[in-house]
Amino acid sequence: QLTPSSFLRIGQLSNVDLNEDIHELETEVPRQRPNEIPHNEKLLSLKYESLDYDNSENQLFLEEERRINHAAFRTVEIKRWVICAMIGILTGLVACFIDIVVENLAGLKYRVVKDNIDKFTAKGGLSFSLLLWATLNASVVMVGSLIVAFIEPVAAGSGIPQIKCYLNGVKIPHVVRLKTLVIKVCGVILSVVGGLAVGKEGPMIHSGSVIAAGISQGRSTSLKRDFKIFEYFRRDTEKRDFVSAGAAAGVSAAFGAPVGGVLFSLEEGASFWNQFLTWRIFFASMISTFTLNSVLSVYHGNAWDLSSPGLINFGRFDSEKMGYTIQEIPIFIFMGVVGGILGALFNALNYWLTMFRIRYIHRPCLQVVEAMLVAAVTATVGFVMIYCSRDCQPIQGSSVAYPLQLFCADGEYNSMATAFFNTPEKSVVNLFHDPPGSYNPMALGMFTLMYFFLACWTYGLTVSAGVFIPSLLIGAAWGRLFGISLSYLTKGSIWADPGKYALMGAAAQLGGIVRMTLSLTVIMMEATGNVTYGFPIMLVLMTAKIVGDYFVEGLYDMHIQLQSVPFLHWEAPVTSHSLTAREVMSTPVTCLRRIERVGTVVDILSDTSSNHNGFPVVESNPDTTQVAGLRGLILRSQLIVLLKHKVFVERANLSLVQRRLKLKDFRDAYPRFPPIQSIHVSQDERECMIDLSEFMNPSPYTVPQEASLPRVFKLFRALGLRHLVVVDNRNEVVGMVTRKDLARYRLGKEGLEELSLAQT
Amino acid sequence: ELAQELAEELWGSGLPGDLPELEPECRSLLAAFAEGSAALTGCLGRRARPVRLCQGCSGHYRRLLGQYDSIARAVGNSSESHNCAKSILTSDRLQIVVTLSEFFNETWEAANCANCLKNNSEGLSNSTEEFLDLFNKSLTCFEHNLQGQAIDLSPNNYTEVCKNCNETYTKLNDLYNHLQRMNRQGGESAHSAHLCIDVEDAMNITRKLWSRTFNCSFPCSDTVPVIAVSSFILFLPVVFYLSSFLHSKQKKRILILPKRIQSNANLVNIQEKYS
Repeated sequence: QLTPSSFLRIGQLSNVDLNEDIHELETEVPRQRPNEIPHNEKLLSLKYESLDYDNSENQLFLEEERRINHAAFRTVEIKRWVICAMIGILTGLVACFIDIVVENLAGLKYRVVKDNIDKFTAKGGLSFSLLLWATLNASVVMVGSLIVAFIEPVAAGSGIPQIKCYLNGVKIPHVVRLKTLVIKVCGVILSVVGGLAVGKEGPMIHSGSVIAAGISQGRSTSLKRDFKIFEYFRRDTEKRDFVSAGAAAGVSAAFGAPVGGVLFSLEEGASFWNQFLTWRIFFASMISTFTLNSVLSVYHGNAWDLSSPGLINFGRFDSEKMGYTIQEIPIFIFMGVVGGILGALFNALNYWLTMFRIRYIHRPCLQVVEAMLVAAVTATVGFVMIYCSRDCQPIQGSSVAYPLQLFCADGEYNSMATAFFNTPEKSVVNLFHDPPGSYNPMALGMFTLMYFFLACWTYGLTVSAGVFIPSLLIGAAWGRLFGISLSYLTKGSIWADPGKYALMGAAAQLGGIVRMTLSLTVIMMEATGNVTYGFPIMLVLMTAKIVGDYFVEGLYDMHIQLQSVPFLHWEAPVTSHSLTAREVMSTPVTCLRRIERVGTVVDILSDTSSNHNGFPVVESNPDTTQVAGLRGLILRSQLIVLLKHKVFVERANLSLVQRRLKLKDFRDAYPRFPPIQSIHVSQDERECMIDLSEFMNPSPYTVPQEASLPRVFKLFRALGLRHLVVVDNRNEVVGMVTRKDLARYRLGKEGLEELSLAQT
Repeated sequence: ELAQELAEELWGSGLPGDLPELEPECRSLLAAFAEGSAALTGCLGRRARPVRLCQGCSGHYRRLLGQYDSIARAVGNSSESHNCAKSILTSDRLQIVVTLSEFFNETWEAANCANCLKNNSEGLSNSTEEFLDLFNKSLTCFEHNLQGQAIDLSPNNYTEVCKNCNETYTKLNDLYNHLQRMNRQGGESAHSAHLCIDVEDAMNITRKLWSRTFNCSFPCSDTVPVIAVSSFILFLPVVFYLSSFLHSKQKKRILILPKRIQSNANLVNIQEKYS
């Protein structure tokens, strides 16, 4: 079929200029030996697979549907609500646990260090205090990093990129396991207590997702416990819906923003969405924030007060001075521009750092050492800044948790210590709400600069920690600085309250780094509890995103790309209409006949060079010589279950009493199907035949060869497909489009570029 | 005197009998309240600086509370509609009595006087007495040691004070810190995080005198070791990154040839870019 002319046609259509094209056609020698290249961002890893969102409507499925009556489906619906409520409650409880443990451990640490510093200030020998602080930090972070690096590396980072990928339809190994949750929760606690420039909010989203995935399955494969409930939901489609509810519940618990949580799920997983799901997710979010609120208020001793809806509370912004006027809008927009530029700088620096880490610091022990070093340096920088600062504030009437006197007069404290000698959450709130004049502009500037680099350095370490709070803190610091200078310029006008500018700066910086739009606006609005701030926050985030996108992409997208994940964006690259399914697809395709020899199936499945997951099933007429028409599609997991239960034609004839396979058998094996190597097939059995017609999906989605890439992309993304068969006009299989075939086209700086596949 | 005037005015401006007038009992209650509040105001004003509110005015405050209570509870001798509470507290827009009593209550709360009074609010608590004793002692010590050199007040000549009063000052400071810690452990709510204003202010004055005026607290600054240790720690990452760059094997990715119709051309293109 491959004529020279068709080759030429393809060559012209692909997006490279003509001179190169000719050159390529001349040197067109297929290189077969494996090619090694250093890691870069233009790769797609083979490690990642798609999730099976498409329902396989085979005979078994139809039978089950017939058997279950209408009332039973109603119970399924009720079960969904029950699961969502449980997700909310458990997510809230996990958030409470993290909050309480962090508060106590961090309090203990700061008290120990403070007592030590107070002691040595009088006697001399402050270098010992520095050593104590650095060692404490480093050892706590070491434990946190050890568990992440050696037990569950997927728990590193904030987890938002991973959940984004999961909702996008990429199966990240281990991402929703119970073990990951445990490591994540412990890791977050340890890294926050270890004084790193991190927050505990981002990981809540991951935790919520794991909780959701775990509960909805009614069992834990890690613990080998099956509670025999919710068996109906053991499918990728159902699990994905609950995971989006869990992510929403996580956001809601982290920021006290239930609507923001729903919108976060909407923004990140929007290609699969329906209205019932939205309402259920909202329910889970509300339950989550309410649980957190009530438990924390009981813990703080004022039950029924319900004053702490999230892990971080920005405090109340409803005083007279906090209002804004129309004249300030341009100022806010300018802050958005600054936030966009600083965010882009942050991302660019982090990009280089992450690339270096992937290439050179890939051994777990090195990663642990790096995390420890960062922790020690963070403590040192903090100490030196506090040591050098001569900015003292009276201790009376201020609400500093751990006032460090150091070289200040008795009854005063070092104002730099409020920023560095505290958990980042508390520092953010202080920057928002401390009265004007609490901070020395010089000290604040130094703090911003230092914290910017520290946060940038910290993100991407092998510890589980989020980037939300550090971003907010950087933004709040320069925002406040901006506010102070503004009120200095305007000779102390009443409207230039620095707290308001701190909030806008925080929004701008966060927007510039993560580039979230709708959900972030609502999250900020809900966290401040002030609806009138919606408009300026929206403007700030919009500007920050536009300005930032001009330079580099968002932090999460960048990390997804650096992980070589085949992530499908909203739409196909705009200039790709000239590409057709024929050029996009993989070919030739390994097909199975409807009645296939067991030996062939086993051989195909155990072939290590091709780890295909879906096999088109074709008509098995032995008399026709050419490729027969497409009849259906069968998945690797289904084949494995069939082989395991030895559903062979000969056996069916031998023992009529043998139990017929049900859909339940497939669900029980989900989600960890055994590898083909673990299934023993004897020599005799290899000669048996296997009839696939009952188990295959009889109506797989197909496209003609001429369909354009955007068309294929739309179908693929909107339906959440895993395999898309390309057929010719006689319904014969010519190729297969999978996620990696589509994800490899990307709009780069010089037009359309193509990523290559790599083993990682 | 002011209260007297006020009361006279109330008596004097007796309105014609047909208008609803305040019952005599109510009138006396109101007068008592007016007098009490005037006394308390005077006390608060006189003891504003240095702050001695809780020590001096607690009696006045308690009396005023009693007077307000008797107004609020008094029912008058006639019918229900004529009770004092209603006619004094709620019959006009301004509600001056309520406003006044609220003001006093808030001030008292903010000063947190309950913290240094005994539980039955009669007299200062033992710890406060002890603190004030020490405070007076240190002040006396300061005075004694300054008398000799009252003529030349150059800032460097306070070493005598620092030496002689160090013991008392340290004791005072420790006691204050101890009180503060006890207070924090005991109470949960935000208000009780503070000690009462008298104690706080006394400590504040002393501390200012000690470290600002006398310049007695000179913390040992050991800049050299701190610089050494911190530069050592800051240097570690540089070593780490350099060594891992030089010694760690760079991670290579193995490219996979995709099975595609035109895969050769594109692959060559990509490979050349990165080779």
